[in-house]
Amino acid sequence: MIPTSWFLVLGAILFSLGVLGVLTRRNGITIFMSIELMVNAVNLTFIAYARELGSLHGLMWVFFIMAVAAAEAAVGLAIFIALYRHRETIDVDEANLMHW
Amino acid sequence: MFEYLIFFTFAAIAVIFSAIVVIHRNPIVSALSLVVSFFALAVMYVLLDAPFMAALQVIVYAGAIMVLFLFVIMLLNLAQTDEPISRPVQQFLGITGAAGFAITLIYYILKAAVIHTGGPAVFVADARAIGVTMFEAYIFPFEAVSILLLAAIVGALILSQRTSAIAKDGGAR
Repeated sequence: MIPTSWFLVLGAILFSLGVLGVLTRRNGITIFMSIELMVNAVNLTFIAYARELGSLHGLMWVFFIMAVAAAEAAVGLAIFIALYRHRETIDVDEANLMHW
Repeated sequence: MFEYLIFFTFAAIAVIFSAIVVIHRNPIVSALSLVVSFFALAVMYVLLDAPFMAALQVIVYAGAIMVLFLFVIMLLNLAQTDEPISRPVQQFLGITGAAGFAITLIYYILKAAVIHTGGPAVFVADARAIGVTMFEAYIFPFEAVSILLLAAIVGALILSQRTSAIAKDGGAR
């Protein structure tokens, strides 16, 4: 049986890669995919702890996170389509209308 | 022993393809790498005795959500977007911040976060056990999720509507 902490470390690495993408990239779609990466790292952590504790409630969280991520992807991509129609780009630095 | 070999192989695949997602310039390559990474994570779920969650991962994430991403990338024709480095200070702070975050997170996981419940717990996570838990303890959140998905569909439709259509019947409403 593989130790739980190894899965936690894998989740931490994937989450950090997602953080790196959100902080450094400017392509909106790529930033969005980095967010999905972070969501999946959290899911892995939830399932690792669910096995460690012998509880199914962690898996329920993963189920609801997946549903919320699907809703988030649909609305977020619709926002990018609307942004592209207005600005002809999805570079997030260009979307600065509400910037101070 | 064989289990460890599978773990390290697919952990390496997940990390490498996630790095490609973050680094690569072409969003289509990023999206396909993300699919590979999700498949590797599904293998991790099987190793964690949760095969139903692995199936859900492949169907919902690799199947549905990533198809949505690919559709939008191709719809907007984003194949080659060059991204010149315009803010080096911001880039440097981002990389430093992410690296510091990773090191801190892994340090504290290895130091403190692992709990030992003593002995392997009984963990049955097949579809039957998940269904019983879902429809007994989580029936209300389950129904709330259906409303959330409906709201997301309506929101996505309204947001991606052509602006001229909104302007045309905006006054009538």
